[in-house]
Amino acid sequence: MSHKQVGAPPGESAVDWCLYQLNGAAEFEVSEADIISTVEFNHTGELLATGDKGGRVVIFQREPESKNEPYNQGEYNVYSTFQSHEPEFDYLKSLEIEEKINKIKWLPQQNAAHSLLSTNDKTIKLWKITERDKRPEGYNLKDEEGKLKDLSTVTSLQVPVLKPMDLMVEVTPRRIFANGHTYHVNSISVNSDCETYMSADDLRINLWHLAITDRSFNIVDIKPANMEDLTEVITASEFHPHHCNLFVYSSSKGSLRLCDMRASALCDKHSKLYEEPEDPSNRSFFSEIISSVSDVKFSHSGRYMLTRDYLTVKVWDLNMETKPVETYQVHDYLRSKLCSLYENDCIFDKFECAWNGSDSVIMTGAYNNFFRMFDRNTKRDVTLEASRESSKPRAILKPRRVCVGGKRRKDDISVDSLDFTKKILHTAWHPTENIIAIAATNNLYIFQDKVNSEMH
Amino acid sequence: MQNLESSCLGSFLFSKVNRYCKENGLRAVQLIRTSCEELRSYCVTFMLGRGLKRKLSDYEENMAGLSSAFDSSRNLPYPLKRQLVLNMCLTKLQTYKMLVEPNLHRSVLIANTVRQIQEEMRQESNQQPINVCPGITPSTQSYTGMESSGISLQLPSGISQQESNCCDLRSVEDPIENSLLIVSDDDMSSAISSILKDLDFVEDISPPTCLVPTGDDQPKFPENTGLKLEDDRQDLKGAECVFGSFEISNSTSYLKDLAIDDIFEDIDTSMYDSDFCCPPLMPPRPPSLATEEPLKTFPSCNSSSASNIQLCRTDLSELDHIMEILVGS
Repeated sequence: MSHKQVGAPPGESAVDWCLYQLNGAAEFEVSEADIISTVEFNHTGELLATGDKGGRVVIFQREPESKNEPYNQGEYNVYSTFQSHEPEFDYLKSLEIEEKINKIKWLPQQNAAHSLLSTNDKTIKLWKITERDKRPEGYNLKDEEGKLKDLSTVTSLQVPVLKPMDLMVEVTPRRIFANGHTYHVNSISVNSDCETYMSADDLRINLWHLAITDRSFNIVDIKPANMEDLTEVITASEFHPHHCNLFVYSSSKGSLRLCDMRASALCDKHSKLYEEPEDPSNRSFFSEIISSVSDVKFSHSGRYMLTRDYLTVKVWDLNMETKPVETYQVHDYLRSKLCSLYENDCIFDKFECAWNGSDSVIMTGAYNNFFRMFDRNTKRDVTLEASRESSKPRAILKPRRVCVGGKRRKDDISVDSLDFTKKILHTAWHPTENIIAIAATNNLYIFQDKVNSEMH
Repeated sequence: MQNLESSCLGSFLFSKVNRYCKENGLRAVQLIRTSCEELRSYCVTFMLGRGLKRKLSDYEENMAGLSSAFDSSRNLPYPLKRQLVLNMCLTKLQTYKMLVEPNLHRSVLIANTVRQIQEEMRQESNQQPINVCPGITPSTQSYTGMESSGISLQLPSGISQQESNCCDLRSVEDPIENSLLIVSDDDMSSAISSILKDLDFVEDISPPTCLVPTGDDQPKFPENTGLKLEDDRQDLKGAECVFGSFEISNSTSYLKDLAIDDIFEDIDTSMYDSDFCCPPLMPPRPPSLATEEPLKTFPSCNSSSASNIQLCRTDLSELDHIMEILVGS
């Protein structure tokens, strides 16, 4: 037991994060295609998938614990790399379709194989990942290299035997769900029934069956009859973790809509609308823009929803539609810089958010390669940095602070020195343990709780 | 007085845009660039209170300067901030229009911001009482008051003495400002509509119809868009019929009564009328007051008010022409 946990003064965060791994080239070698665009753990946390702008998916697998090599505990090694999507050209509309992977979602494992869904702007693909570690040897008609044997040399019959071989990971596309979306797909979510999933673009949400690729049901359509009347778009959506009939979608106006698929085939009419009235004291020209929800995540319990808008993360209780139960300021010091951030388009950045396994801590990214964690119980928060310079392996991450004028402590960084090109948009938390994956441009950082790693 | 400043600036910008367009036939983006640069100089000067050499710097630098001016200054008058944001929104929409596949999410957010600003401006102009007072008597004093203090930091203090006069002054200026805004309101709505209509191209196989905003004296435009425009104009006219008559043919009596031309007669507008590229640094006539420095930077504002009123009377159609360029394909 680390001394930090025992006897830690009440209120102190008992979790010390340290860098476990860093994957990716040094920052000056970044090519656009290497920029990580999504990160996702599977349901056990054994596998971690990342997608990048070049349409590639890289899957990491956690090394199983072994007493022989205690220092390699829990390391995520590259398991498989494959090209999921290729750039396409839509000849009819003269448009290039980006191969950037927008989202990856794992299917719950049902047999020895792993499956995941990956999507770009238009097409969703189902990939099956299998392992092969044995191969048959001793064919009668073919020799070791596969060439046909000269029949005159065959004197006896033998039964081919399975012999161990080096592990080979094979990834095959099992389904391609194409032509379902006119607008850009921003999210996919697998239903708890493990048979269906939904995909959402700016104006519509479709329900697919995992086995059927030529048909999908449209369950939400917010496109107005006259495009001139368009004032709101869908920004994210997710199925409820336990109730297969419930899903939520967020909008650019900052509202959440919970829909019940039992109510009607087309769920344009929401069952519940979650909306917080605007705070008149904070009103500005950019109020609407910063209220746009960039990500929505159900808690593991299914009782709460987490939303991220430009400056805050909010926890909503499914039973209360009038306002969130908790609001946390991610970087309120940016409130006075909104015009500059609007001018350089940073105000449109879409940050993701994540729950920890026990729903007690929430995490989201920010600028300057900072990411923030909020403990819902202790109400404490911490700002940490994902950078090569400040992270030595196994060294504990030092909390960072942004000063807004006034007293400035050593190591504080001022608002004006923040690097807005270094943004942490994609983060993921292991489903059960204190392991987090942070994507910073082309680098993947994996941080672990020091205690966690010491215990192995 | 804030309205005066912004109306001054607004009309100043629009007239400059007008002139520039006529003389050089520039493209829309460059027009906006120019107006942004003017705004920038104005903002920075307003804050610093002294003359600023106008740099022919990058568009990006200008915009960055403008937005940081917005963020850091608390003294920036609200209408100016609003104009700045509006400029930025329109620029972005214009840029997106040129893209093959504009981002729907962003376009919708920006369009909503523009609509919000439009609505605000509309409400403001609705609330402004119009004092159609014939023959504003204290005119000389109020106008000299305006001239002497110029558009400077001292302006607010100078107002309190002349509030009653300024009220009348405001009523004169506002119709100008608001009629300009009315014209741009229509065109902005059309601009947003056309952009959103374009975004629907993915489903609509036929080429998108562009709503071209036109002036009243240009009858040739597509039938349905013209109807929509007419409807907008009718609505606005209904609500603000006082301003609706601000046109060449039937300008209201107060303008004629005021004889504004006489008041501004002695202001030398030759510098303003000359080559556009010259930064308006030195005033044409020596200011004899303590507030010399601020005046140096804004002589064109003063002169433009006079020339602008004339411009407004005669150049509304030209303004439409500009908006056509700004918004049209």
